[in-house]
Amino acid sequence: MNAWMTYLIWPLVKFLVAFIIVQVIVAAMNWIERRLLGFVQARLGPNRVGPKGLLQIIADPVKFLLKEDIVPASAEKVAYFLGPILPLIPTFLVYCLIPFGPPPTFVAARVNVAILLVLALTSTGVYGIILGGWASNNKYSLMGGLRSAAQMVSYEVPFGLSIVGVLMITGSLDIVKIVDYQAQNAWNFIPQIVACFIFFVSMTAENNRTPFDLPEAESELVGGYHTEYSAMKFAFFMLAEYSAMLVNCCLIVSLFFGGWTLAMFGQGLTSTVLRHWGFVGGLIGTFIFFVKVMLFMLVYIWFRATFPRFRFNQLMDLGWKWMIPLALGNIFVTAIFILAGQERLMYWIGIAVIGAVIYYLRPKRAVTHERLHASRVSEV
Amino acid sequence: MQVEYPKSSWSERFLLLDMLEGLKTTLRELFKPKVTIRYPEERLDPANRFRGMFRFSFDRCIACKLCAVACPIDIIYIDVHDEQREVDGKMKKLKVLDRYDIDVKRCMFCSLCEEACPTKPKSIWLTTKTYELATYDRNDLYFNMQQLEYWEHRPEYAGLPPDEDEQPQIPEGKQIAGGVE
Repeated sequence: MNAWMTYLIWPLVKFLVAFIIVQVIVAAMNWIERRLLGFVQARLGPNRVGPKGLLQIIADPVKFLLKEDIVPASAEKVAYFLGPILPLIPTFLVYCLIPFGPPPTFVAARVNVAILLVLALTSTGVYGIILGGWASNNKYSLMGGLRSAAQMVSYEVPFGLSIVGVLMITGSLDIVKIVDYQAQNAWNFIPQIVACFIFFVSMTAENNRTPFDLPEAESELVGGYHTEYSAMKFAFFMLAEYSAMLVNCCLIVSLFFGGWTLAMFGQGLTSTVLRHWGFVGGLIGTFIFFVKVMLFMLVYIWFRATFPRFRFNQLMDLGWKWMIPLALGNIFVTAIFILAGQERLMYWIGIAVIGAVIYYLRPKRAVTHERLHASRVSEV
Repeated sequence: MQVEYPKSSWSERFLLLDMLEGLKTTLRELFKPKVTIRYPEERLDPANRFRGMFRFSFDRCIACKLCAVACPIDIIYIDVHDEQREVDGKMKKLKVLDRYDIDVKRCMFCSLCEEACPTKPKSIWLTTKTYELATYDRNDLYFNMQQLEYWEHRPEYAGLPPDEDEQPQIPEGKQIAGGVE
């Protein structure tokens, strides 16, 4: 009986709690995204339903449920129904593996090869998209599905390769150990700044988000793979997309930004400190984790508001000609540093890069305009 | 003329500064005040010379019918009868308005009636700030004298700036926002 509790009931309960929290976030993301996009574009976004438009979170699912569910007459019925459901399953399964707080209480299933499992599961998400695109019997849908497949295959490689650097530093495939390592040393985005950048770009591409949203490019493919989907099936596609976004944000936070801890070099809120406070400490850790995750979700929206869409050959160029060599080079350099026993040197490189970016982006005193004006005047 | 933009250095390009600059721009836009006016709750006050809905003053009107003549599409309907009345101890023949209707659904708001009006201040004018004229029935846009004079739930005309001498003065005791006296 005790074994049943340990290995079945408790993990299920934990998974359900995590699942519900995640689904609430996913539903809220719809409103947050539309609102923030509106703000960036000098409008207000949805603000009519309820206070500040918050009831839009409820109104949207209700609308999706009540709409007519149209199935194209010539669609491949079984594949058409499987299309929206298939990408949901792996993304939901991944929530079992992600440590939301200090283990063992806040991890549904602690696996010592968690990262491999996560990579394997998230990459199956493309099946639903390509199946849905093909089953719709619509050339635009099919093209969206094919684009999605090509894009996912291309960016799966740098996605996986960028993690290798982290694994080499931390020496473990267990996400819990990686997070603890980051709390004891620096967060991985400092020594692995290039890997962090590659990971972020490839995860944006994996999720088919702007600027990599070619599978659903409205101006070219109507709606891409979900052109023929309506009502709740369409909502399932959206749900899968946002869930996958959240999974990837959880991953980047766990791998590069210290997970549930708020500590570097053993100072601050490490797992030991949080565990010392018991359940409350665990809740604080989970809160820190979700704050970090939400920050990255906001960055997704920020990217969407800023960058225009790539052309398809540019997308492939970036993936194969830049991201993969860069990731391989990162592995090479990291290996050299580890062999030479100079891991601390990587911290300084990371700090130097971040410092250079901050230096160049410092508020300038309208220098750009003066330079621009001077160059214009010289032409005349 | 070819505009030369300042070239970014190698290190600037390597750090993707152009993209970060773009992100900075959108972030700045995020916190700027928004220009949207949430219409039913917030209303813009129209400009002073805004030509809104008609306003008609029974007291000023001398029933000369010049506005009806000036109207290019003949949508002003005026009926008048003569009446013997005692004014200043003398019996006088006066014209009395029976009917002053405007079929606003056909009106093009040319304000020729306002120009034709001989009274000063004008007894019909178009510079009210009312623009909410939508109705559920097209016949609701046929206005009679009382409707033209007293707007139900409609804002009063605030008047032109004081330096404009031709502004219509609303007489005392007539400023009722709804209902007939």
